[in-house]
Amino acid sequence: MSPTEMALGQAYFWICATLALTGAIITVSAKNPIRGAMGLLLMILTIAGLFLALHAQFLAAIQLIVYAGAIVVLFLFVIMLLGPSSTSPHDGRGRLPRYVGAGLFAGAGVAAMSLIVRNAPQAPKLVAGVGNDFGSVDAFGRILFSHGLVPFELSSALLMVAIIGAVAVARGRHKDDPKTPASPTSEGHE
Amino acid sequence: MALAFALSPLAVIAFGAMLLMLAEAFSRKRAGLALGATMIFAAGCAFSAGVWMNGLDDVDGSVVAPWLVIDRFTIFFQGLLCLGGALASLLAGGYLREHGIDRGEFYSLLLFATFGAMMVAASGDALVLFLGLETMSIGAYAMTAFRRTSPRATEGALKYFLLGSFAAALMLYGFALLYGATSHTDLAGIGAAVAKGGPRTPMVVIALVLILCGLAFKVSAVPFHMWTPDAYEGAPTPATTYMAVVVKTGAFAMLLRVLLTCFADKASMSWSSGWPPAIAWLAVITMTVANLIAGQQESVKRMLAYSSIAHAGYLLVGVVATMRSGPQASASVLFYLLTYGVSTAGVFGSLILCGRRGAEAVSYEDLAGLGRRHPAAALPFALFLVSLAGIPPTAGFFGKWFIFRAAVDGGFYALTVIAFVNSVIAAYYYLRVLVYMYMREPAAGAPFATPMRSGYVTAALIVSAVLVLVLGITPGTSLDVAVQAASIFGGG
Repeated sequence: MSPTEMALGQAYFWICATLALTGAIITVSAKNPIRGAMGLLLMILTIAGLFLALHAQFLAAIQLIVYAGAIVVLFLFVIMLLGPSSTSPHDGRGRLPRYVGAGLFAGAGVAAMSLIVRNAPQAPKLVAGVGNDFGSVDAFGRILFSHGLVPFELSSALLMVAIIGAVAVARGRHKDDPKTPASPTSEGHE
Repeated sequence: MALAFALSPLAVIAFGAMLLMLAEAFSRKRAGLALGATMIFAAGCAFSAGVWMNGLDDVDGSVVAPWLVIDRFTIFFQGLLCLGGALASLLAGGYLREHGIDRGEFYSLLLFATFGAMMVAASGDALVLFLGLETMSIGAYAMTAFRRTSPRATEGALKYFLLGSFAAALMLYGFALLYGATSHTDLAGIGAAVAKGGPRTPMVVIALVLILCGLAFKVSAVPFHMWTPDAYEGAPTPATTYMAVVVKTGAFAMLLRVLLTCFADKASMSWSSGWPPAIAWLAVITMTVANLIAGQQESVKRMLAYSSIAHAGYLLVGVVATMRSGPQASASVLFYLLTYGVSTAGVFGSLILCGRRGAEAVSYEDLAGLGRRHPAAALPFALFLVSLAGIPPTAGFFGKWFIFRAAVDGGFYALTVIAFVNSVIAAYYYLRVLVYMYMREPAAGAPFATPMRSGYVTAALIVSAVLVLVLGITPGTSLDVAVQAASIFGGG
């Protein structure tokens, strides 16, 4: 790798990282929920950029399709459906503890990071022997369905429980009156 | 073939859960679901016992390695988790019907979440650990929010969900740092690399701190307990039972597995440079704070929530003692989880039994005079409270006895004294329920609890009561089992 390439790579990393942090800060600090969702979008896009720099093209694509394409859009839909009236008025209570808490957390995080960086071995070793197809759909699928088959199968339980949980919580809403049966099928027994 | 048999408890729960969902979708009768779920859990228990007795010598785990570890520790916890699940689903069978929220999703959630807890117990890799943890937790969040019309349930579930996700993220960050430091995600590999690493690098220490934060949240140790009273109180009582028994057992399986596999080297297990002092302080704060707050509660359910936090403190004493007493201390933790599980399931079951639709037994006043009006409902309640207080001849006594003995053998005298004083404080609020039940009469015109009738709840209470008495009179066999399960962790 030539020095120019190295410098370009460094510049690319810093641009993406700065934008990702900016997006994250916008997400948590924006008062307007749409603006917050846009901040999230910025963060997701730049993180996908960071994945690209790590030769993880497939992950970058998935990041774009799932997070930017599906999740942020879902957020926007929900915000639009709820309308501006549903955003709670600004609440000034507990502002000081919130800022102090955030400050403490940020301080602890920065301190931990600097400790790690200062005590790290001089330069991170470059991973040798990454094949040309590293990060491709092909290589990813191969690992997922051979070496990583067990966690891949087990993750189906996680998805399953999330779906059932969502159904359980959503169905619980339409039953204000305890006298109405849970569903027509629960009648007629006993 | 041997491997397939060794994995059968997991498979039984997973396939059983799918069958139950199909049965719910295609059948018009709802009543059988609780029984079906209980049977599936019972089958899980039976298969665990079968695998245990068959021995694991001829099991070649290389196909599932390093993701899953099949050893006696795993099998013990899988049996224990299935037992907890069975008791919770029996209680749900009575409670959900009585309170008009009898929807079949609850049982599927119960089964899949228990499957997640069993994954946690069997995990040999941080990835599977995290998957299992999330499966267990998401099921618990959804069960907490099951009664959507109740603002309390929603509040509790939201707190649980937000704080739980945050804790899971902290833990994931810890494992990411560990991966950076050791380039391993399998727990044994991490352990070898940490042991070889010599002096502690800040990266490993910070990773350990983050993982401990996540684990402390899951076992609801003070100061990571803020969600517990609200979630326990807001959730339907069978879901509370599930959280207090299965989720806590799964969390302790995770705690023991991570600490005694990844951080089991001399330096990590020493008082001067390892995790024991952190856990010891956590234990002291947890026991003391939880017991002091529990004594001030006016709601019995909330008091039991704080009591479950306090029991996490006693269990942490046992975890600290693994530093010097080794397998003996881990065995005492395992045995305590068994005694605590059956007593807690029983006490929540009794609380369910004492209430009716629209008139749940909540406060101490509700229970006034119950012993005279309904002796059959008050007697098991008294038995389980006595067991939680740790008074012989019940299971809770031997649970505490073995933990304290492991701590004394390890030379942790101060810790043992604090734990002992705490269990005396705890006896105050457990016995206060007995005083109300047997020595008070409800004030004129005040509402009082009338017990419900349910075969499911009665069955759960009988099972728990038998176990509490058997474990309290002849603890030898089950203690041997716990010792064998804990013997996979060497050292000490």
